[in-house]
Amino acid sequence: MTDPTVERISFTDVRLGFGRGRHRLEVLDGVDFGVRSGEFVSVLGPSGCGKSTLLNLAAGFLKPDSGLVEVDGAKVTGPDPRRGVVFQQYAIFPWLTVEKNIAFGLTLKGNRRPKAEIREAVARYVDLMGLNGFEKALPKTLSGGMRQRVALARAYATEPDVMLLDEPFAALDAQTREFMQELLHGTSQRDQRASMLITHSIEEAIFLSRRIVVLTNRPTHVHEVIDVDVEWPRTPESRTAPAFIELRRHLEQVMRSMTTLPTVNR
Amino acid sequence: MTVTVRRVLLPLCGIALAIGGWWLASSLDDRTPPPSRVFHVLVDGLGSSDGLLLDTRLSVLRVLIGVAIGCTAAVPVGFALAWFSVVRDMFNPLVSFFRALPPLALIPLVIIELGIGETARLSLLVYAAFFSAVIVIYESVAAIDDLYVRAARALGASELELFRRVVVPLTVPQIFVAVRVALGVCWATLVAAEFVAAQRGLGAMMAKAQSFFRMDDVWAGILLIGISAVIMDRLVQLLMARAVRWQERVVR
Ligand SMILES: Nc1ncnc2c1ncn2[C@@H]1O[C@H](COP(=O)(O)OP(=O)(O)OP(=O)(O)O)[C@@H](O)[C@H]1O
Ligand SMILES: [Mg+2]
Repeated sequence: MTDPTVERISFTDVRLGFGRGRHRLEVLDGVDFGVRSGEFVSVLGPSGCGKSTLLNLAAGFLKPDSGLVEVDGAKVTGPDPRRGVVFQQYAIFPWLTVEKNIAFGLTLKGNRRPKAEIREAVARYVDLMGLNGFEKALPKTLSGGMRQRVALARAYATEPDVMLLDEPFAALDAQTREFMQELLHGTSQRDQRASMLITHSIEEAIFLSRRIVVLTNRPTHVHEVIDVDVEWPRTPESRTAPAFIELRRHLEQVMRSMTTLPTVNR
Repeated sequence: MTVTVRRVLLPLCGIALAIGGWWLASSLDDRTPPPSRVFHVLVDGLGSSDGLLLDTRLSVLRVLIGVAIGCTAAVPVGFALAWFSVVRDMFNPLVSFFRALPPLALIPLVIIELGIGETARLSLLVYAAFFSAVIVIYESVAAIDDLYVRAARALGASELELFRRVVVPLTVPQIFVAVRVALGVCWATLVAAEFVAAQRGLGAMMAKAQSFFRMDDVWAGILLIGISAVIMDRLVQLLMARAVRWQERVVR
């Protein structure tokens, strides 16, 4: 499972557009990359270049116009609990308590576990995500950071082989975001699970990833793939390591060169 | 303290103001009975078992039965319309037509086909409740955020599980809304139907009172209909608040 040469997720010459005729918008224009076993990969790219589209393809919510999206060598045909998804907008179920949200995947027919096992898994992830004392709370009473932790716990509780994360921390404040990044790093580090993270944040991409896939503007292809040469596992100190800072400078320059919007707002 | 003032005292002040205005109007216009006379009629009528009490009971019961049957039928039909595109495409025009058609427009037809008995009135009410509720339910299912559907699918939910464990809980609040809409439409329909064809019931009582110029009874009828409708609406709201505690309240 952790053979580092096997690609768990692979995109081969993936093309996808939306709409037809005059309203046709070519989004993905031959995207090629893969995420290997046990590897954490971030996808970085300008706004609207199709990052979420790429994740939706891997999750099975969308089909490519041409090209191949494969997970473990099998073509993706639809959503599958072996691929966990964490959404930017949390998407935790507002009508369920924290523990019922976390248990949701384990109570479905396709993946059902015995009661004791569910209870144990819930307790483990409540603990891991620091949600103790909030097991019976409804989502409306939680802060944004806690909601996102519930979403992570729910996705991880089913123990998927592959994790897909779409800007999971975009809505959080800087401190909470760093805390969540460290939490996520600890979790994926321990599980050796292949993960694909979509992000806007260069800092987040470097901190969490083995490799970073940089996408171009629409119509989108891979601009470059960067190996992150910062000591592994990462620690809070990694953020100030010379290699980290050097890479951040490089990526900032790349991203700036792709920004075509007027710069008055920034 | 301030909470009691706001939730009890202020509403009471509003009601007192309205009664004051009514009293003033009655002293200026001799066709308008003063509040005291109407309250007297109310107390008397509600005290005797075949007076106003019977009319009120009959009207409330008719509305309840109409709403109960109409909404019970509307729930599965609303879900089916929203869930199966074939069903939707086929029946959408029909549902739109019957929903736009005022139930009262069917009174002549109903009287000829079913007479002026209880069956006729109840059919009309069931019809009114069904079509007003079905649209609300259908639209609430159609408006479900795709995000939750995707989240559940990604966790491995089958179609049935998706329906039972995501669509239904998200739609429950709207079912209560549908019941409230149906209640409103049913009261309107019932009163008109009772004006035209009924021996007893608040509408019939008022129609009789009108032909004998008994203004006290007319006013008593208006009050009873309004109050019954408000109480029923509040009860549904209360049930809803209990059933969907998870909802985020934006106001208050
Ligand atoms: N269902 C859809 N129908 C039509 N156009 C779409 C659809 N989904 C996405 N698009 C368009 O495709 C492009 C890529 O969308 P996508 O959400 O993948 O971008 P993104 O890279 O995730 O952007 P952001 O960084 O802002 O989240 C956008 O221009 C968007 O408007
Ligand atoms: Mg996006």
